[in-house]
Amino acid sequence: MLRDTSTAHPMFDRIHTIWSLLEGQRIRYGAALGSLIVASVLLYGVPIVPQVVFDAVLTDEVREGSWPERMGLWALGGREFLSENLWMAAVAVIGLTVLAAVATYFRGRWVAIAAESVVCRLRDRLHDHLNHLPCTWYDEAETGDVLQRCTSDVDTLRNFLAMQAIEIGRAIAMIIIPLPIMFMMDVPMTVASIVLLPLIICSAVFFFGRVKSIFREKDEAEGRLTACVNENLHGIRVVRAFARQEFEREKFHERNDEHRRLDYKLYAVLAWFWAASDELCFAQKALVVILGGYWVAVGSLEIGTYYFFIAAVSMYVWPVRMMGRLLAELGKAVVAVDRIHEILESPVEVVTGNGTPESSDRSGCLVFDRVDFAHGETPVVRGVSFAVEAGKTLAVVGPSGSGKSTLINLLLRFYNPDAGDILVDGLDIKTLNRQQHRRRMAVVMQDPFLYSRSIHDNIALSRRGASDEEVHLATRIACIHDSILEFDEGYETVVGERGVTLSGGQRQRVAIARALLQQPDILVLDDALSAVDTRTERMILEAMRDRHGRQTTIVIAHRISTLIAADDIIVLDAGRIIQQGNHEQLSSQEGLYRRLWEIQTTIESTEERTS
Amino acid sequence: MAASPFIQEEEYAGGRFDWGLWRRILGHARPHRTWFWTMVGSGVALAGTETLMPLCIAWITDEAVAGRADAAFVMYAVLYGVLVTVFSAIVWLFIRAAGRLSTGVAFDLREQGFARLQELPFSYYDTRPTGWLVSRLTSDCTKISSLLPWFLLDLAWGSCFLSGIVIAMLILDWRLALWVLVIVPPLVIISWYFQRKLLQSSRLVRRSNSITTGVYNEGLMGVRTTRALAREGESLREFQQQSDDLKRYTVRNSLQSAVYLPCIISLGAVGVGMAIWKGGIEIQLGSDLSLGGLIAFMQYAVLFSMPIQEIASRITDMQAAQAAAERIQTLIETVPDIRDAPEVVEAMGRATAGGPEDGGRPDISSIEFKHVDFWYKPEEPVLLDFNLRIREGQSVALVGATGGGKTTIASLAARFYEPQRGEILLDGVEYRRRSLHWYQSQLGVVLQTPHLFAGTIRENIRYGNLDASDAEIVAAAKLVNAHAFIEAHDGGYEAEVGEGGTRLSVGQRQLIALARAVLADPQVFIMDEATSSVDTETEQLIQSAIDTVLKGRIAFVIAHRLSTIRSADVILVIDHGRIVEQGSHRDLLDAKGRYWRLYTRQEAEEEGARHRPGT
Repeated sequence: MLRDTSTAHPMFDRIHTIWSLLEGQRIRYGAALGSLIVASVLLYGVPIVPQVVFDAVLTDEVREGSWPERMGLWALGGREFLSENLWMAAVAVIGLTVLAAVATYFRGRWVAIAAESVVCRLRDRLHDHLNHLPCTWYDEAETGDVLQRCTSDVDTLRNFLAMQAIEIGRAIAMIIIPLPIMFMMDVPMTVASIVLLPLIICSAVFFFGRVKSIFREKDEAEGRLTACVNENLHGIRVVRAFARQEFEREKFHERNDEHRRLDYKLYAVLAWFWAASDELCFAQKALVVILGGYWVAVGSLEIGTYYFFIAAVSMYVWPVRMMGRLLAELGKAVVAVDRIHEILESPVEVVTGNGTPESSDRSGCLVFDRVDFAHGETPVVRGVSFAVEAGKTLAVVGPSGSGKSTLINLLLRFYNPDAGDILVDGLDIKTLNRQQHRRRMAVVMQDPFLYSRSIHDNIALSRRGASDEEVHLATRIACIHDSILEFDEGYETVVGERGVTLSGGQRQRVAIARALLQQPDILVLDDALSAVDTRTERMILEAMRDRHGRQTTIVIAHRISTLIAADDIIVLDAGRIIQQGNHEQLSSQEGLYRRLWEIQTTIESTEERTS
Repeated sequence: MAASPFIQEEEYAGGRFDWGLWRRILGHARPHRTWFWTMVGSGVALAGTETLMPLCIAWITDEAVAGRADAAFVMYAVLYGVLVTVFSAIVWLFIRAAGRLSTGVAFDLREQGFARLQELPFSYYDTRPTGWLVSRLTSDCTKISSLLPWFLLDLAWGSCFLSGIVIAMLILDWRLALWVLVIVPPLVIISWYFQRKLLQSSRLVRRSNSITTGVYNEGLMGVRTTRALAREGESLREFQQQSDDLKRYTVRNSLQSAVYLPCIISLGAVGVGMAIWKGGIEIQLGSDLSLGGLIAFMQYAVLFSMPIQEIASRITDMQAAQAAAERIQTLIETVPDIRDAPEVVEAMGRATAGGPEDGGRPDISSIEFKHVDFWYKPEEPVLLDFNLRIREGQSVALVGATGGGKTTIASLAARFYEPQRGEILLDGVEYRRRSLHWYQSQLGVVLQTPHLFAGTIRENIRYGNLDASDAEIVAAAKLVNAHAFIEAHDGGYEAEVGEGGTRLSVGQRQLIALARAVLADPQVFIMDEATSSVDTETEQLIQSAIDTVLKGRIAFVIAHRLSTIRSADVILVIDHGRIVEQGSHRDLLDAKGRYWRLYTRQEAEEEGARHRPGT
């Protein structure tokens, strides 16, 4: 679903994509570009002031200067005035720089606001889009990869929009703007001042193009190093149990050494680049200093102009080197945009139907009619038909991979059946509004997901405006109320990734409470009591049975004891219903059910955990 | 990406610069002192060349203004070329030295940290998530080690360059120098002020960023739950709040930089202005200052802000990295509570080849708990005056409620923890007087949730005995009924199990963990029986594998299945850290005590469902 590399889009499309992201912020970017140009022009005005002072005041020769120099002299009040009032020069230098600084501030401000707004909107779009992508998309996507696209790729784009793009712009402005001024002042000097620039840019582009593979090798080595630590720490108990510390240390040492070697290799090649490019940049400056000095000595160049060229070359040569590097890395931003867009361009769940059942019809009766479903080529559910009357309980049993959970996914419309219909209260669920349909159902999975927030909020989010009493009633039925109160912070204990880790059984019971609070028309327990001990399980099931008749229930379980009280049991094998009936009937006939039942009673698998 | 990518940054509480800590961090550079001093030396040399360059331009200018394109001019031109080349050579040298120093320190920190993690007791792991520990060895080490060389360089370069500029200016014209140096105090104050501001605001950005990543991650992990609860709208609103926060912090941070740099540029301009005004007047008056000297002054005025900026930003970098430095240093300095006693280490030095490394008895024929007290928190003792003795060939089933201390007994037996009071004896010798490594090599431990390492099935089984031949591996697999499924599996023994073994089912992982333990051929077997739901047929395989494995060894089993319990030689019913009942299955049933109630309740439960008379 998500490609690895992105070579599919032609360059024009990519630029267009970036351009479309800028919508709403283009004026700010334009303004920022404007202030950048203003700042550059002002900054090149600064060395003209000393130039005028040197030529008009501090040296004796009286010569017609170049056009920019005459302008400068006029602005500073003319030769006579300036030589009497040299402070004017200081005021001019400081004034021009301060104006440039103000323009630079606005450039920074507008770019920051524009870039962050673009990125913030992109994040929101991504998040929303991810919430609407179909489950089939998630089956094929890797969480780590998607997460990386949403975070580091967005960050790469942010860096481009907030810094690199404007740095490239600045480098271009810094080299283009002084060119006409320099040509007006002295043509041979201008040529001497820019002759090495192409070499500086090209060598940077070439170099960073070439070392990409070393960067990648190093990143990969770092990845292996991280994976090694990660594996070791996850399995630390196994390492200890077999006293394999020495073995692990050697394994780590190898990866660590490899990483050190590649990391150093990167430093070593970068040393060549930075030293060589510094040499080139300084050579460009030295050319100006020495050649210009010679021309001054032989009298073909004025000292002020000479100063201007030295100042100018110091101003643009390093930004130009940086531009070479940025140009070479431009590809990163383009790849990042592509990777982000692959997510945004994946089609969302199709919105079909807007039907809402009349409230009087909302009893929760459920029919599967000859439903087929395949994952790719593999059929998972084949011709499954059954009906559950409102308020009754259906149990589903079968070996792993027999398609039990897929039935639930189909019911929730995470997937659409390839053939056949699913009817709730007589209406085909394809015609129903998806969200409203899902709100009527509550599903508890074997490994339920809890959000990183308080236990109370985790439960209460299934029904807006639920009172504390209602929440506590639900937790009592789910036999988790007392355990919650044992936590230091009770219901306010934060769970999940950034909080307390609950045991599997505790998570299952919190999820059951969440489902019960929702007061669904259809309740689905997908192996939802597997980590709960048998006694607690019985208590929960009994408490729920007291509410019997309030909702249709579907129970999936391995433990036959969980299923015994169901009104109807279906046995699935390889996607087909092979047996159907209640416990009495099924345990008295030959078949998979009886075999499972017999194995379980001989193993007498049980536990006495009361957690 | 198994490591939690959004471990929250633990910010250093005080924010004060901790000299003691950084001295200890600098201590890690000691093995690389050649490169350390190369960095410092490069900094000084760089400052020297950079101070000379404007002077050299001044000399060339003065020659040129005097209209002399003579030998002196050529000499200065050559000098300038030499300075440039020396400069590049130093750049080359210090980047390579920085590479040596940085990669060397990172390597050492990682080796030490990793080695320490292999020794730290489980109580250390109980309170820290794995992802958190992983980032200590990855990002923290990178942060510290990549900062160190540049800190040295910039500190040496910055202070020398500043002094160089001041000296050069004073020599050229001390009065003018004082005028230009007016900009120094505001430059220092502004740099200091903004760097602190930037440090604070960038912390907010980082924290907000990691929370945002966390929210993304949660969204991805919980996507089905969010859909099932139909709360996509709320989810987006919550995310937008977070996203807006991040935007606000980032913009604030950028605005601070947007003010800071223009301030610095403007101050530089004040220096240049001063030079041209006061210096110009001096030249007009015909003082000693030459035109070239004035140009040098103007260049120095611009250059002056560079070292100040760099030093200020390096110091704040160090402050930003202080939390990381403290975490890694604490990890390396933590002394594991469970380790070999000095006399054991000494004995290991004397031990002869062939026998156990500590020179003690090679086999274990009994394990005895004698008056053992144990607690995780002093106010909540888990075991009090616990006594137990197991002989070779006996298996002990630990039965009782969660929190009663079953897992603790197993962990103490494995010496994952050590008793606070009392002793545990191996054939009469306190186990703390034996080598930890030797003892743990004699154990076979199978945990409730078996962990496999990324790699092939074969490699995972071989983990039990690194010298085992392929035939021995197959034999072990056969013994625990794993051979059939492995053969049937795509790729057989060479099949990759994936990170944490996720490509195999839980039941299959359990079988492989058992095979691994069998291959180790341990004298003592410690097992936490799994309770997770596996399908019925696999469960049967696991059950008979366990029976095979336990045979003829000292075995501690935290038992959940009645059949395991029944076949144990001794059953201990544990409650609140004490053995409340002890004996064989028959004895305990006859006693009609707690075990009998526990057992019959489970029996009754199954009986009620079974519709057939009792066993």
